Amino acid sequence: MLELQNISRSFAEHQVLHDVSFQVPAGSLTGFVGANGAGKTTTMRIIMGLLAAHHGTVRLNGGDLGAGTRRGFGYMPEERGLYPKQPVIDQLVYLGSLHGLARSTARQRAMELLERFGLAARARAKLESLSLGNQQRVQVTAALLHEPQVLVLDEPFSGLDPLAVDAMSSILRDYANRGVPILFSSHQLDLLENLVDHLVIIQDGRILANDAAGALRRRHTDKHRLVLEHDAGWLREHPGVTALDVSGPEALVSFADPQLAQQVLAEAMRRGAVHEFATHRPTLADIYREIIR
Amino acid sequence: MSTTPAWLTVTLREVETKVRDKAFIISTLITVGLIVGSIALSGFLANRTSTYTVAGADRPSLRVLEHAQQIQPQDVDLSVQNLPDDQARQQLEAGTLDAVLHSTGPGKFTLTGGEEVPAKLRSLLDTSVEQVLTAELLSSAGIDPGQLPADTALSVTLLQGDAERNSMIQAMAFIFSFLFYMAALIFGMPIANSVIEEKQNRVVEILASTIRLRELLAGKIIGNVILALGQLLLFLGVGLLAAWLAPIEIPFLGVVFQVATWFVVFFLAGFLVLAGCWAALGALATRTEDLQQSSGPVVTVLIGILFIGLYAKGTVLVIASYVPIVSSVAMPIRLLTGQVPWFEPVLSLLVALAFCWVVLVFAERIYRRAVMHTGGALTLRKALKLEE
Repeated sequence: MLELQNISRSFAEHQVLHDVSFQVPAGSLTGFVGANGAGKTTTMRIIMGLLAAHHGTVRLNGGDLGAGTRRGFGYMPEERGLYPKQPVIDQLVYLGSLHGLARSTARQRAMELLERFGLAARARAKLESLSLGNQQRVQVTAALLHEPQVLVLDEPFSGLDPLAVDAMSSILRDYANRGVPILFSSHQLDLLENLVDHLVIIQDGRILANDAAGALRRRHTDKHRLVLEHDAGWLREHPGVTALDVSGPEALVSFADPQLAQQVLAEAMRRGAVHEFATHRPTLADIYREIIR
Repeated sequence: MSTTPAWLTVTLREVETKVRDKAFIISTLITVGLIVGSIALSGFLANRTSTYTVAGADRPSLRVLEHAQQIQPQDVDLSVQNLPDDQARQQLEAGTLDAVLHSTGPGKFTLTGGEEVPAKLRSLLDTSVEQVLTAELLSSAGIDPGQLPADTALSVTLLQGDAERNSMIQAMAFIFSFLFYMAALIFGMPIANSVIEEKQNRVVEILASTIRLRELLAGKIIGNVILALGQLLLFLGVGLLAAWLAPIEIPFLGVVFQVATWFVVFFLAGFLVLAGCWAALGALATRTEDLQQSSGPVVTVLIGILFIGLYAKGTVLVIASYVPIVSSVAMPIRLLTGQVPWFEPVLSLLVALAFCWVVLVFAERIYRRAVMHTGGALTLRKALKLEE
């Protein structure tokens, strides 16, 4: 498990991170979401040792991180970075060797991954001759080459076409299944919906949520959606009911007491037909919006 | 898992990339060709003999000409004809003779040429006349001329030696200065460029999260030092080998070889300083274009070194031979005179190495701070204020 404890960091007078603490459990895909400038990249750079924290620690499985430990991390920075003029395979082998792989192993692993991304045929091509999406795949390959113990990926899905998104998701799932803690940021919340096990939400340098996705969903499943025959305006006046959104016969409400649900249903049926009465399952995007509100 | 240290992996990449670069291979081969060619050419020019045919119209003239044949230098081939005056003039006009010598009275001679009398021929005959007359004078006074000339011969050789040594020093000064200047640009600039490339493309983020920046920098510098030194040894080796194999005898080869060894050591110290400067400049820049402005001072220093190497003499040269970077060229030039005590180069080298250490430590600090900085180009002062 990767663990951040009370991380703070300022640039000049501006404090960017306030007491940031969260965990990336082993074997979990942890989504890291927040608006632009919320502090995602700064946090990730601190995890990777590219920036020093002014306060707080990053620990892996309870131990402090040193440069030696981070050599086993896989990192994909937000601003992609590889050598444009070098052939794909050459730079992958180089980066693999820097991570401590033997050249032959690095070459073999790189080819396996390129194969998986459908890029094996372009291995000898210069990076700059590849499309942006393909360059992105090479970038991911670079992060995965050395079978990292921890993966930190800044916006790994941005710029990928739907097929590449699927390939990326399945690769990430594979690594998670091996027990690797994976932290990745994204602002495409719909992509996270079926992917993340754990969600961390950051706003203005403060962590607003840090929990398993399932638990978050359960906690936010306190709303009901109604579709009635007649106007649903009466729900606004009903004691113990908070009407979150009412338009014509449709309404989204929450109940002060779960017991109230059956009472309201009975009242609705008394007033006419009820076409729909269901607990509302929020998407992660809904939860995110609600939390940062 | 391999145990190759990270810096070595970086070094190997620097060397491999360069050695595979066609432009680099071609320019190296062309330079090797130029070195061999220029040595062969100078050998050919030195070996070329001038042939002169001179007629003597009378006995004293013939004696002078015969003596001239005995003392003629290697590059002059004098043939003598015994012709009466009018016949000699005809041939001179026809161009089959280079000159005619006649005696115009006791101890007096006239040399008649066509359009001109070649300087080499004139000075040869001048010497010959003087020696023949002196010998006659001495023998008439009852002195054996064989007893004396040793003195004059000795002073002549010394004079000749100094002149030759000076031209050798001048030639070597040019070669040392030029080699240093070229290497500093050919292998120094790429250090800056590869630092900028990694900064600009943000590869440095990945590299820095994998290995220490210090190792990255060390790998780069060591890689380019190996390349620069390798090329220098190749050029010097080919040059010395060609000079040694040349059909003519090139003087001072022993001294040149000895000083070349010193030069390699001084070159290393000077190049390391420049490598550090280039790396720091690269880290301060954001784009390759920035380097054109910031590299100005370094290039100026390099051109200064080129000029000092070519023109500095006397006290200026002595001072220069202790100034780091400049000493890489100035001290070897002084050593060529063979009149510098052994402790001077050692002292100068120690000064250079101390300076080198300071510069590298400083450059590493700047590099570590500035290379991760993403905004615009930095000044030195701003870079030092940056936080890691």
